[in-house]
Formats: sequence, structure tokens, C-alpha cells
Amino acid sequence: MIVVTGASKGLGRAICERLIEKNIDVFGLARNVEDVPFASMSCDVSSYESVKLVAQQLKKEGIKVTSLVNAAGIASMNLAVTTPQSVAQKIINTNLLGTIFCCQLIAPLMLRNKHGSIINFSTIAVALGLKGESIYAASKAGVEGFTRSFAREMADFNVRVNCIAPGPIDTSLLKGITAEQINKIVSQQIIPKQFKPESVADLVELLIDSHSDSLSGQVLHVGGV
Amino acid sequence: MSVTDSVKTQVFSLISQLLENKSLTVTDDMPLVGGESVLDSMKLVELCLSLEDKAAEIGFEFDWTSDAAMSRSRSMFRTAGSLAAEFISQIKAKK
Repeated sequence: MIVVTGASKGLGRAICERLIEKNIDVFGLARNVEDVPFASMSCDVSSYESVKLVAQQLKKEGIKVTSLVNAAGIASMNLAVTTPQSVAQKIINTNLLGTIFCCQLIAPLMLRNKHGSIINFSTIAVALGLKGESIYAASKAGVEGFTRSFAREMADFNVRVNCIAPGPIDTSLLKGITAEQINKIVSQQIIPKQFKPESVADLVELLIDSHSDSLSGQVLHVGGV
Repeated sequence: MSVTDSVKTQVFSLISQLLENKSLTVTDDMPLVGGESVLDSMKLVELCLSLEDKAAEIGFEFDWTSDAAMSRSRSMFRTAGSLAAEFISQIKAKK
């Protein structure tokens, strides 16, 4: 079973749909799972207790978790000086602490099997230092740092931890960003084109597969930087 | 032997099974974390998983991730004795 956070929309949803297409069992987590048409549970990743309830439920049901995809995330494109404190806090709580909490509480379900793959999500904004994304980039830089260290901690248990850093993928996270801004970011990638959620799902498929057994602690930039 | 003593012996036995140096005897003040720890971090996680199994046998769920357990006088993992005490306290709390 693969646990995917942020499963109700955007990249998380696209990843779930791809995995289901491939006949892989998926367990989706999202704050609102009313419209999620596959196995799911409501979870606010920024709440340790909420994630813990999910981990307890998975354990109680004897579900063998083989992978965790931490796709839940929020963004706010603003200058740091004009970002309200509450928004800054929410971005850090969801993107960074949410990823940490899910890793802390769901990874133990994989340790017993001495096998697993964890995929976290960063952004190209970290590598490019994009203007107007400082708080978002800070939260994701934290995810990258966490990924590298956590990968070492998990290596003894044969659990791999990697990070995917997409550019401006066409999802609801981009609302409010103009085509011109998107083009400007995309032009800084090695492959200067806007990728679709399917390209990210391709990387997820690779990272959960045994063909990527040699990869851990890595950040994969979609489009390249 | 009281139930508490029996559980403590079982916890110490699980620790003993993970020791590299089999000639060591597990005592109350044997450190499980820090510079003088007898277990490396991997063995410590394995111990937690063994304690989860033991708890399931006894009929309760051992929680090694709660803030309360981790912060009570710093950490339940500081010694073999403190870990056994936390395990026993969680059995009592679940009854």
C-alpha cells in the first residue's frame, strides 16, 4: 500500500490516479476526502495528532505500507515583507512540519519490513532562489535538508528517502501566477518547458520501483536546474 | 514474582537480545541513549519494534512516539530502567 498525502487535488491526486491505473493500492490522505474516489482518510498533515491517528489506523488494520508520498503542500506567492505572519506559519506548518510528521509517524510502519521508499516534495524555487517565493522556498529547503539527513537515518532499514523538486507544474497551486511569470521560471530550467503532473507521476513511479534501489537522499529537479 | 517484575524482566530480556556484548548484564541504570549507550540508533529502533510486539502479546499498544512519554524527565530511553518503567506505566494506563 502506498500512502499519498495531498490526495484530494493537484499533484497528489494525479499521483494517486497514476498508481491506481497501474493497479497499485493507494491510501490517500487529505483534509477533505469527501470527493476522493479511492481508499482515503481525512488528515491534516500539519497536526501531529492527526497524522498519528492515521498511523495508528494503518497499523490497526495491518496494512503493509511500502511507500509514502508526501505531496501535500501549500504556496503563497508574495514578498516576505508583505506576507502575514499567519500565512508564513501555515506554509511552514504544512510544507515542512507536515512532511516531518508524516515521515516520523508513518516510516516506523516500513521499518519492520526493512523495505520502503519515501518521496518528499520540494520546488525548483529552492535552487533558483525565486523572487516572491522566499517563505515557500524556505519551507521546501527545509524539506530538502530533512530528506538528506532522514535518508541516512533510514538507510540501515533499507528505506530510501528522496525528494522531487518540480518547476511550475500545471496545478491549482499556480493560481494567481501569470503566464509571463511561469515562462520566466521555465526559461531557467535546463529543459525549458512547463511539465505536466504526469511527468511528476513518472518520477514517483521510478522512485517507488526497485529500479531506483541505488537512489536515496537525492533531490530530482523536474526539468533540471 | 509480581506482574510488574515479570514485565520488567521481559523488557530487560529484549534489551539483552540486542546487545552486541552478550556478557553484559542489563541493569536499571544501563544507558540506552547518549555517548555511553550500549545500543546504536538502529538497535534502539529495533528495540521499539520488539516492545510493540511484546505489547501486542500482552494486549495493549506501546506508544513510543508520544510527547508525554518522550518528555517525561527528558526521555524514556535514557536507561533500561526508565524504559521498563514507561512500558509498565503504559500497561497500567491502558487497563
